Amino acid sequence: MQNLDVISVNLWQILISLCNLLLIFLIFKKFLFIPVKKVVKARQDALDGQYAAAKEAQAKADQNREEWQKQLADAKGQAEEIVQKATRRADLRSEEIVSQARDKAEDIVGEARVQAEREYRKAQSKLKKEIVDVSAELAEKMIGREINPDDHRAMIDSVIAEIGEDNDGDS
Amino acid sequence: MTKRTAGFVAVDVLLIVLMILPFAAGMVLKILLTPPTQGIEIAGALIYFTVKMPFMGDLPITESQTNSFFVVLSLLGLCLYLTHGITAKGGSRRQLMAEWIVEQSEKLVHTNMGAYFSGFAPFIAGMMGLSALSSLSSLMGLYPPTSDINIVGGWAILVFILITYYKCKCGPVQYLKSFAEPVAFLAPLNVISEVATPLSMAFRHYGNVLSGSVISVLIAAALAGLSNVLLGWLPGVLGEIPLLRIGIPAVLSLYFDIFSGLLQAFIFSMLTMLYVSGGFPADLYEKRKAKKAAKRKAVK
Repeated sequence: MQNLDVISVNLWQILISLCNLLLIFLIFKKFLFIPVKKVVKARQDALDGQYAAAKEAQAKADQNREEWQKQLADAKGQAEEIVQKATRRADLRSEEIVSQARDKAEDIVGEARVQAEREYRKAQSKLKKEIVDVSAELAEKMIGREINPDDHRAMIDSVIAEIGEDNDGDS
Repeated sequence: MTKRTAGFVAVDVLLIVLMILPFAAGMVLKILLTPPTQGIEIAGALIYFTVKMPFMGDLPITESQTNSFFVVLSLLGLCLYLTHGITAKGGSRRQLMAEWIVEQSEKLVHTNMGAYFSGFAPFIAGMMGLSALSSLSSLMGLYPPTSDINIVGGWAILVFILITYYKCKCGPVQYLKSFAEPVAFLAPLNVISEVATPLSMAFRHYGNVLSGSVISVLIAAALAGLSNVLLGWLPGVLGEIPLLRIGIPAVLSLYFDIFSGLLQAFIFSMLTMLYVSGGFPADLYEKRKAKKAAKRKAVK
């Protein structure tokens, strides 16, 4: 067993050492750099994908919001329109009802007036007849004799007619 | 975090063993085969056996060769361990470490060499790891492979090949022309400086690590002598123990083994990056490429 000199050059050893360096380069490349880079790239890809998805979702949400806002505005307008229409219709209807009621009331009043007139006339003729009867009887008793009721009646009728004309003029 | 199966843990343990076992093997080899020595000795790596080769002399299989190979094995185990079970989700500590290493080396290569050389990141990272771990193996009592000129010489020659390859990217004529710049009669000097690049790199790295070992040995020996002189009067066995050797060499080892080793690894990689990217005529290459593309278009 012996030692090398401190400085001794041997080409074979140099060649082996050169190959060692190449070997370590290949080892580092194959077993460290390529796997690590693959993993880093995969992570970057996943990250990019997530970012893209998030961006898309954001855009979609914005679009949805705009749509909803538009729809909301539409709905508001529609509601206002409906309320206005309903108000107008109600107004019309109420007017109609009121006018109908007034007409009816007038009808009723008119009818009542006609009836009252009729009643009045009836009562008048009845009263007249009674007065004639009473006055005939009265006159019979006063005079004490039988007078011709027909003449009598005619005379009183004419009197009452005069009175009645006066009365009619008053009413 | 996903639940770890027994198989996963078993593979983990195997990989950790793969990381540690080479150094243990190196230590065992060293302990078994080192002959007993007396006193201080500054020598190169231990030759385990010699392989007869038909040319270029014989191939002695030395400590530095085996240790260098053990370091490669250990780094293979480290790489496999770091990337074992990594997922896109991440979260484990080792994945963070692996990603940190990849990210940092890519950043370093990118800032020093530019985008064109981004494929150099694993090479630079591997070179740094190999060099640093080789130098640090001296902490375990192994012969650091980086203090053998043949080992770092091989690396430097690979770097030289890379430099020349990228200089030749614009054609061999352009490569030869670059020697005659800025004036033709400087060509011999340019050739010398070209050859000096790998030589200086190899000698810088090897010299730093070896000198650290040499100084450590010298100081240890000197401290033993000093201890003998100063504390030799102590009675019995106490006088024979070199007490001054306790602690002081450790501080020096901190500098020579750890700091110097890591620094040299960094410097070697930095110089590789600078030389390779500096020798590459990027502007000329771009122009040439554009011209070629235009020509191809014209032919079509």
